[in-house]
Amino acid sequence: MAAEPQVSGWRRWCWHGVYALIIVALGAGLYGASRRVDYTWRWDRLPQYIVSTEGEDIRAPFDGFVAFSADGKTLTVTEMKGAGTERYTGFAQVLVGQGDLVFQNDVLARKPGIRPGPLLVGLGLTLEISALSLVFALLLGLVAGLGRVAHNPAARNLAATYVEIIRGTPLLVQIFIFYFFIGTVLQLSAFAAGVAALAVFTGAYVAEIVRAGIEGVPRGQMEAARSLGMSTAQAMRHVVLPQALRRMLPPLAGQFINLIKDSSLVSVMALTDLTKAGREVVSSTFSPFEVWFSVAALYLLLTGSLSLLVRRLERRLAHD
Amino acid sequence: MTEPLIELRGVGKSYANGTQALKGVSLTVARGEVVCIVGPSGSGKSTLLRTLNALEGIDQGRVVVDGIDVHARGTDLNRLRTHVGMVFQQFNLFPHMTALQNVMLAPQRVLKLSVNEARQRAEALLAKVGLLAKADTRPAQLSGGQQQRVAIARALAMQPSIMLFDEPTSALDPEMVGEVLDVMQTLAREGMTMCVVTHEMGFARAVAHRVVFMDGGEAVYDDAPPAFFAAPRNERLRAFLGQVLKN
Ligand SMILES: Nc1ncnc2c1ncn2[C@@H]1O[C@H](COP(=O)(O)OP(=O)(O)O)[C@@H](O)[C@H]1O
Ligand SMILES: [Mg+2]
Repeated sequence: MAAEPQVSGWRRWCWHGVYALIIVALGAGLYGASRRVDYTWRWDRLPQYIVSTEGEDIRAPFDGFVAFSADGKTLTVTEMKGAGTERYTGFAQVLVGQGDLVFQNDVLARKPGIRPGPLLVGLGLTLEISALSLVFALLLGLVAGLGRVAHNPAARNLAATYVEIIRGTPLLVQIFIFYFFIGTVLQLSAFAAGVAALAVFTGAYVAEIVRAGIEGVPRGQMEAARSLGMSTAQAMRHVVLPQALRRMLPPLAGQFINLIKDSSLVSVMALTDLTKAGREVVSSTFSPFEVWFSVAALYLLLTGSLSLLVRRLERRLAHD
Repeated sequence: MTEPLIELRGVGKSYANGTQALKGVSLTVARGEVVCIVGPSGSGKSTLLRTLNALEGIDQGRVVVDGIDVHARGTDLNRLRTHVGMVFQQFNLFPHMTALQNVMLAPQRVLKLSVNEARQRAEALLAKVGLLAKADTRPAQLSGGQQQRVAIARALAMQPSIMLFDEPTSALDPEMVGEVLDVMQTLAREGMTMCVVTHEMGFARAVAHRVVFMDGGEAVYDDAPPAFFAAPRNERLRAFLGQVLKN
């Protein structure tokens, strides 16, 4: 890496000051602009959609009567028109009394504790979809990338066609095709169709990363391995790919960050990922500004920690 | 020293871009013979060597190595290559492995030796090239001369009957040339069949049984060292030797 020209001493701090000033000015501008529109900011509503402290409701499973044990720690519901009974323990707050008549789905009590709110649950699904898609994208990309550098014309052309089609069409359109066409034909759940669409999309980019990684390994490596009697596959597996992997890691990590962001598009299917959760929270709070800023911050949290990790990885590989 | 181990008959080779690198080369190398190949840059020396283990294909002629018709359809090239070791100008060691792992890899994967067998063999060979102490060192931490000695050990680990060297000392600093040539001389004395492309005329004179002069894709002149260097009857060779031996 070429040494950057050093800006030294007080001048450097000056420029940091300029940076801070511009950020503050932008923030102030944003604040001013939001004051001009008729909008009531209700940030206080938001935390409960990220982490809910309300606890979990215990609801009556059927119409029946409530009874408590002598120590009051066990609650029993006895079915009114039948023989069913149900016991509950470990609740914090009781909302019914001894002998009360309750109807199905009435809240009897609340379990204590902190629960993830809808936004955090959405974040979880986003992570789950991204991670799962990544695994399949890596496999697909490895196969297609090897196809790109293969001598066999069928493998070459197949891989090239796949990459060109995927890279030449919008992801949103691909998602619709996976959801409405492939998902219907193969009877896939929305989740499976979403993972498949993202994996197929990202796999095309991974294939190019794999191809570039392999082509970056000097030709002499393959020749040396072949001259020792190793097959092409053995040479790939033991000599070329391990070296290509080092070059591939940084761009692969970047592709994973893209994948996380791209996954927001699966919210058009019936999947409550972070983006869809944001939409749902907006419709129940009527606080779109706060919600979308929070959703953006949560995405940034994911991608930011990932790029931090990548930077560390790159530094470690550079030293090796 | 009569059984031919390598036999080329009228070998011609053109690259995809039209360059005619070999124009009907015929050459025989007997078992135990050391043949040095000299000639100006671009004369086809590397190409010739690489047709012997099928790193390059040929358009005309026939190459028979150790009784195997190298370029015939259906030849098991992987098996052929286990008989033919090759040492490259740029060493081409595997940078992600230690010296020991470099030497162990092919015996383990190709010959299916156990880890212990492969390690014993590799350690013996590293000792032979004087680098047992560097067994756990990565190539990047070795000098050029040391890397080339590891590369020789790596090729020997397959117990080949023929060793090919393509300018093994051309990428080395002058003070490291000697250590590599010493290892090669030891090999020659042990009776290894060797084809060596080199500019080291001193080595050719001292070690080779025969020296072949290549020019413009042809094997122009082929003789035992004293005659080759003393009284070449070929004009192009005279010019070449005059240039090389001047410095
Ligand atoms: N991969 C290749 N593609 C096209 N031309 C090549 C290739 N390798 C070598 N050549 C050409 O073939 C001729 C012989 O090359 P080479 O065998 O490397 O000569 P030498 O080893 O004697 O320097 C040269 O003209 C060279 O430019
Ligand atoms: Mg050459």
